[in-house]
Amino acid sequence: MSNSEHPVPDPETAPETAPQTPVAPTNVPEDGHTEAVDKTDRGRDDAFLVLGLFENTDALMAAIPKVRSKALGRLEAYTPYAVHGLEDALGIRQSPLGAMVMVMGTLGAITAFACQYWISAIDYPIVTGGKAPWSWEAFVPIMFEVTVLFATFTAGLGMLLLLNKLPFFGHPVLSSRAMSAITRDKFALSVEAEGASRAALDTRAVTQALKEVGAVSIEIVPQPEPAPVFTAEFVLRAIGGIVTACVVAGASMYGAVKWFPELPPMTHMLEQRKLMPQKSSSFFRDGHGMQLPAPGTIARGYLPLGASSQDEAAELVNPLPRDIATLELGKQKFTERCAVCHGALADGNGSLTAAYGAKPANLQSAQFQRYSDGQIYWVIVNGKNAMPSHAADLSADQRWAVVHYVRALQRAQNAKDQDLNP
Amino acid sequence: MSEAALRANLPQSLLPVPLTVGHVDPGSLDDQVLAFPAKRPPKVWYMALAFTLSLFLMGAGFMVYTVYTGIGVWGNTSPVFWAFDIINFVFWVGIGHAGTLISAILFMFRMRWRNAIARFAEAMTIFAVICAGIFPALHTGRPWLDFFLFPYPNQRAIWPNFRSPLLWDVFAISTYFSVSLMFWFLGLVPDLASLRDRTDKKHKVRKAVYTVLSMGWRGAASHWRHYEKAYLLLAGLATGLVLSVHSVVSFDFATSIVPGWHMTIFPPYFVAGAIFAGFAMVVIVLVVVRETMQLRNLITDYHLEVMNKVVLAMSCIMGYSYFMEGWTAWYSQNEYLTHAFKNIIGGTYGWAGWLTIGCNIAIPQLYWFKKCRTSYFWMIFVSIAVTVGMWFERFVIIVISLHQDYLPSAWRVYRPTLVDFGILIGSFGLFFTLVLLFARVLPVIATTEVKAILPGAQPKHGGHGHE
Amino acid sequence: MTDAKAKSPVILLGMTGLGALGVALSFIRNSHERFWVNWIYWFVVLFTLGIGSLFIVALQHLVSARWSIPIRRVPERLATLLLPVIPVALIGLMAVRVLYPGAQPEALHDHVLAGKVWWLDLPMFSLRTVLVLVAATLSLGVLVRGSLRQDKTKDPGFTVRARKFAPGFMLVFAFLVTIVAFDWISGLTPDWYSDIFGVYLFAGSFLSALAASSLSVVLLKRGNRLVEVKPDHLYNLGGFTFAFTVFWSYIGFAQYMLMWYANLPEEVHWYHQRLHGGWHTVTVVLAVLHFIVPFFALSTRDAKSDPKRLAVVALIMLGAHLLDLYWLIFPVLGEGPSFTWTELSFALFFLGVGLLWLRQAFTWGDDMPVGDPFLREGLEFRL
Repeated sequence: MSNSEHPVPDPETAPETAPQTPVAPTNVPEDGHTEAVDKTDRGRDDAFLVLGLFENTDALMAAIPKVRSKALGRLEAYTPYAVHGLEDALGIRQSPLGAMVMVMGTLGAITAFACQYWISAIDYPIVTGGKAPWSWEAFVPIMFEVTVLFATFTAGLGMLLLLNKLPFFGHPVLSSRAMSAITRDKFALSVEAEGASRAALDTRAVTQALKEVGAVSIEIVPQPEPAPVFTAEFVLRAIGGIVTACVVAGASMYGAVKWFPELPPMTHMLEQRKLMPQKSSSFFRDGHGMQLPAPGTIARGYLPLGASSQDEAAELVNPLPRDIATLELGKQKFTERCAVCHGALADGNGSLTAAYGAKPANLQSAQFQRYSDGQIYWVIVNGKNAMPSHAADLSADQRWAVVHYVRALQRAQNAKDQDLNP
Repeated sequence: MSEAALRANLPQSLLPVPLTVGHVDPGSLDDQVLAFPAKRPPKVWYMALAFTLSLFLMGAGFMVYTVYTGIGVWGNTSPVFWAFDIINFVFWVGIGHAGTLISAILFMFRMRWRNAIARFAEAMTIFAVICAGIFPALHTGRPWLDFFLFPYPNQRAIWPNFRSPLLWDVFAISTYFSVSLMFWFLGLVPDLASLRDRTDKKHKVRKAVYTVLSMGWRGAASHWRHYEKAYLLLAGLATGLVLSVHSVVSFDFATSIVPGWHMTIFPPYFVAGAIFAGFAMVVIVLVVVRETMQLRNLITDYHLEVMNKVVLAMSCIMGYSYFMEGWTAWYSQNEYLTHAFKNIIGGTYGWAGWLTIGCNIAIPQLYWFKKCRTSYFWMIFVSIAVTVGMWFERFVIIVISLHQDYLPSAWRVYRPTLVDFGILIGSFGLFFTLVLLFARVLPVIATTEVKAILPGAQPKHGGHGHE
Repeated sequence: MTDAKAKSPVILLGMTGLGALGVALSFIRNSHERFWVNWIYWFVVLFTLGIGSLFIVALQHLVSARWSIPIRRVPERLATLLLPVIPVALIGLMAVRVLYPGAQPEALHDHVLAGKVWWLDLPMFSLRTVLVLVAATLSLGVLVRGSLRQDKTKDPGFTVRARKFAPGFMLVFAFLVTIVAFDWISGLTPDWYSDIFGVYLFAGSFLSALAASSLSVVLLKRGNRLVEVKPDHLYNLGGFTFAFTVFWSYIGFAQYMLMWYANLPEEVHWYHQRLHGGWHTVTVVLAVLHFIVPFFALSTRDAKSDPKRLAVVALIMLGAHLLDLYWLIFPVLGEGPSFTWTELSFALFFLGVGLLWLRQAFTWGDDMPVGDPFLREGLEFRL
């Protein structure tokens, strides 16, 4: 070991706690003789613990059983790294962390599965990619990761916060002279008072015992001065902290939810350069975005007839089959569009006739009985005399269906004996 | 033959190699390693930082440009919908795996040589995952809506799709980042306590920071008990992550039916590739660190040689995987798969395929020779070749399979844009900036862990020797 | 040799004899398919156990591990099973034309198989098998015979040679396992392929060898041999078993999940057969025995170093490995899972032969590799 002297005390790490009654630090020369330390019989009243520093782990491990056997108080060791067998020598219990992690890991697995199942199979079940909503195979990877996540946080935070009760900055050892040696290269054995009454620590006996087992230096760490918790300063700080937290949280929420989404590029999809209804456009001469369709545009379902006069239209063939569906459609459309003038029986006795003084055609008459389907169709599309064109109101199929229906009406009003089923 | 005589006759190659060179004791170790955070770094550090930071800022500029203008500024287009974004993502996640392997898996196997390099390797993992995370975040196009990926109750009455490997990825990478951070931080706590105790009171800010971060750690044996248990558990959990995270990344490809992607060997093949690329990067960084920070006595030639052996082993596993892919392409008698494979060794991107095979399989074979394993020149040459090769491997997998799959009318050549390259270079800038900052601010070697394995560190009493 | 062992030859011989009778009868009376399925099944069982054990030995040399030196003789002896595997394999070649569609004349007309008939047919199949056997035997000679010799010569040169040989062996091992996996198992359905299959068989082999080694160590300790082997060593064995249980499960699940996800008919039919009817039960039992039970049984630290628990879990793992190979191979018969007197006879015969061989093998050399220069360090290993 390079450093054979006791650690150089750093005057600036003097404890901020109890005013220290100066005690001459024991300087143990290599041959192990010690000097008397305390003049009082039982030593100091305000000692929290007594630290004995050792040069190496062998010395520490050798010392422990001897000090332990004297039952002077609760034993603890402070080392720069974990020393094998140290905890067992001190009688420290096994860590329950393994069991905690196992439980939380299992909880993570169950939570992950349950959440995925509920989300995918119950709350909003969709079949994706041919996979059923309850596809346990797909849930396994996330289940595994969440298990590890839960287990990790339990191990890390459980160890720190729960089991080691860290962060904690008030332990007296932290402000002892030996602390910098402990985190560097020395190994400390400490004897604390057992039980609630701190005065029970017999520092003289402890110091003696530690010297006997070869501690290279002894330090008595005093108790921290009891300080009231709820001082005015603390309360003000706490309130200030809470207020600050609220303000920051509020500002962040506002920023995230109101202010941020209204900045570019987040707004880029709101203001789109594509043409939308009612928008102007410099592309067209008249500045309007909305334009009429070009001349000759044909709407779907409204193909041109291909016939330029009613006589040419006579050759058109009704493409629809004469079945119930077509006739139903024809009846519906006829009733909607045609019956008001031509009457329900296509006999020209519609309900509007008297009011308008018009004379709609009687489709039951012989002239119209002789009309071909195409001629009727022509009239629907182009109108005739006072009758306007109904091309915009009826699609091609609907017009042909109406033609079928008119034919059916005509036949119904001119039935012959042989039309009746025997 | 007596024990001693037996040992005296041992050939050179069997003699155990010390893990530290020269005299090292806990005090000198602290003085050597913990001095760095306290003192000003040399000029070369500032120059390096200026360089890496400028690369990162350039990359950041391109990232802002992408977010502002749209993904169209990248080269991604039908049918290569995934390109540099996913290549870079997989590349960086892979680099991270070496750190976890060194930290966790080698700890589980009680390989004591890992103690000196675990801290740095684990830090590299965290930085690599940060670099990796940029890409999925950016490639969604509207990154401010990335929170949609998380399953929280929302008024859109919609949930993410748990049957998608992309969502598994979100969970896997988040978990990996959290676990790595937790593991790294826990390892730092005792070292931060050392730093706290070494820091003079006059450096108020520094002392306060170390005090808070070290959480009041005092080295109590009762605390060490729980700490060691937590460390062991975290190492075990992180071991599971090494396998699972890159396997989930491989699922992004293997669950599809794109020819060349749907190969069951992808999970272990990706994991091996990740370890491979990661170790090469660790070797490069450690060579620079040990030279510039005079840490040759702690990061010894043995460490580098062993890592290079791992690189060689991984190269062989990659060779096996490539062979299996190629052989299966024939065995399947599936014309689409055969076509995809032919595109790897020929066609528009055949050069990338050969580059990959050369860099990943051929060049690392140099490591069969001890001279190459122990020479800086060859180490750096092979490591750079591996880094390049592994980037190109992802390029080969993604771009080649996508640019010509089932429908010839959809075949198209992919061309990356300047923005693609800019962001890639920027990610390297970010990674090395973080590495430099880490080396400046925190102890690069886990002094607590190395102290625990120095000769004489553990008590001989009770038969607790070391193998 | 303890009394218990001294008694067993009679039982084992009886078992083997009865089995042999059953095997012969089944050849005469049964369909040849069932006979050969059983034969190749036991070939794969013995081969995976042997090569897995040889892998353990080589691994120890590869990473220069010390803790495992005291128990290295166990997997070395287990690896010698590769020797009786030779005649089993060569006889098993007679199954190729019977069981493997790729080697049958109809294959020439199948559009998937036609292009690879030359590979799948008997000549190339036999060539690959012979190469595998030769490589395995040679490796056995270097690693095991060298180790046995080192007992007497105490020559550290063997350790040097073994460490140099180990990396090369690992390369060869990868292909040995892959060839056997693709030829003997996946070749039963040659239109199906999974390129992770070699890794899958490796995982199973390694696990079964670990289980056999752990079981042997515990049994030897019970017989007052391997006295110096401590719970710390057992802990490592238990730890490896635990870790590779997870690894095997990961490989198995990855293969299944990827094929389930893509749902391609040419891949899914292999699983479809194993997920319906009686085979579904076998699949579930396999998952429980091969993953759930060992995982939870070995998760605590104490469990890993407890000899009783380790022995029970090792036995379960061996059973699970047998079930795994059964699940891989037997569906080729096209029926539900079956266990008839044929299977029983084959089991009695091959288990008998195997155990008789091992009974002999466990007398070769010392129980620990006493010539190894680092044996002392290995015994001093503590967690």
